[in-house]
Amino acid sequence: MSLFLTQFRYELVKMFSRKRTYVGFAAFLIMELIILFLLNLPRPRARFQHIIEQNGYGFDEYFSGYTLAMQILIYTTNLLGSLYLALVAGDLMAKEVEEGTMRMLLCRPVSRIRVTVLKYLAAVTYTFALIAFISITALLAGLAYRGFGGLFMGPPDAAFALVPPERVLRLYLLAIPLLALSRATISSIGFLFSCCNMKPATASIVTLSVIFLDFILHGIPYFESLKPYFINAHLGAWMQIFQPYVPWGQMLEDYSYLVGLDITCLIVGSAIFLQRDLK
Amino acid sequence: MIRLERLAKTFGSRPALHELSLEIPQGQIFGLLGHNGAGKSTTFGMILGQVIPTSGAAYVRGVSVQQHRLRALQGVGAIFETPAFYDYLSGWTNLKIFTSYTRRVAEAELREAVHFVGLDARINDPVRVYSHGMRQRLALAQALLPRPDLVLLDEPAEGLDPEGIHEMRHLILGLNREHGMTVLLSSHLLSEVEQICDRIAVLNQGRMIFEGNWTDLTGTAVRYRIDAEPWDRAETVIAARPELNLGAEKTLTLAPGADIADLVAALVHSGIKVRAVEPLKQSLEEIYLELVGKKESAPAVH
Repeated sequence: MSLFLTQFRYELVKMFSRKRTYVGFAAFLIMELIILFLLNLPRPRARFQHIIEQNGYGFDEYFSGYTLAMQILIYTTNLLGSLYLALVAGDLMAKEVEEGTMRMLLCRPVSRIRVTVLKYLAAVTYTFALIAFISITALLAGLAYRGFGGLFMGPPDAAFALVPPERVLRLYLLAIPLLALSRATISSIGFLFSCCNMKPATASIVTLSVIFLDFILHGIPYFESLKPYFINAHLGAWMQIFQPYVPWGQMLEDYSYLVGLDITCLIVGSAIFLQRDLK
Repeated sequence: MIRLERLAKTFGSRPALHELSLEIPQGQIFGLLGHNGAGKSTTFGMILGQVIPTSGAAYVRGVSVQQHRLRALQGVGAIFETPAFYDYLSGWTNLKIFTSYTRRVAEAELREAVHFVGLDARINDPVRVYSHGMRQRLALAQALLPRPDLVLLDEPAEGLDPEGIHEMRHLILGLNREHGMTVLLSSHLLSEVEQICDRIAVLNQGRMIFEGNWTDLTGTAVRYRIDAEPWDRAETVIAARPELNLGAEKTLTLAPGADIADLVAALVHSGIKVRAVEPLKQSLEEIYLELVGKKESAPAVH
């Protein structure tokens, strides 16, 4: 077990020693600041004001740092997050195979299953680290700009949700691992394609294609009956935590689907990698 | 140490290796010779369990690589033609990463390997600034950790300058003679293989066309240049002996078992003056090309 942990630590060393990792983090920071700027332009601001006040709440209280942080989080993870996770996960196995380091590793008495599990865990860890980074920087940026207050947001299957100031930080912090867990599915799909005999860029593109195709199809009314099977139908489950009455059953169902998909990706990816010739 | 039993591999419809059977005893330096695409790297891949054979099996110390890969690869080190590293990390971190996939290795053991390959001064530099020779040496260091008894070297001298080749040769000989390691080496540099290996196998288009030691190989065709007077009568005597084949420039090729002394005696007995009998050393390239059936393209014998 301790050797496994050492190997896992080195997987993280490999991942977090690359400059590209930090370039990605910097890109997210810039994106967050851009979104913060855009949200405070007169038109979006007026729209928020209209909705909040229309429902009888105070704009100054609910257009807070938390509300801005939540908007930043949603836009950043949806726009750039999927792209970046697909890039990193698509690289995981395929890049090492392409560069030849995988052959060097597999000269050693280590099973391919162990290598895939280590890589997968590294991908999930990276996902959690990235989401934590985005969440915390978004929160800091939001609070710095608008200060504390309540949270106004629109979770899926609800018109909007308002969280009073005294509950909002706890829920926000709880939402971070839930968001990371749902985004780990994108990493898992990237990992699956990375195990196949394809170039890293191809694995990333295929992953993104799957996610976007799923997104488009899940929005088409014709496929309404198939909605529970679409990935995007479950990716927003983390936001349910902000509902006045949290639909725990629905959330459990959503996360069971996502975690089930993650495990399937790991198993299928490992099985594919086991059968591959490394040359 | 290594036993290959009718090992075969086909990639799609392209056969890469045809039923290769080979035994490499412990303590030898064994050379696998062949041009690019001959099947050397595929053979290495199957010995290391990285390429799945279409049929046949590879055994290391009697353990099947295909069935018990982890057990079979205990005590095996390997380097490839183009060693790959995490270029953004130091040589030292790379060594720690790779060795962690075998077992935990003491720092002293790591230092010893680094010292053996002469990388002490640069081991903390990022690998991206290493020269090709330094990368090869780092690859050798990682192959030696932790202390293998079998080392597989795929084209270890590839891309090295003459000094680097010389150093690598000494390192490999040191591994075998000082540390008792069995070495399986692949190369298309014939002179390198000749200087290092005890025994060789020659692969051509996935088939083994020779296996033995150098004397077996060079002894397959013994050649002489002969000069006698009168030459037309000497030619008649030579032509009457089926074990001799007279070529251009008075070059004689003797069939295995034939003795040049018998011919000299026959010429003298016929009253022919033998002026010179000069043994011709066949160049390694010539022998190799002869083996792989490209004799016609071989350079003239000097």
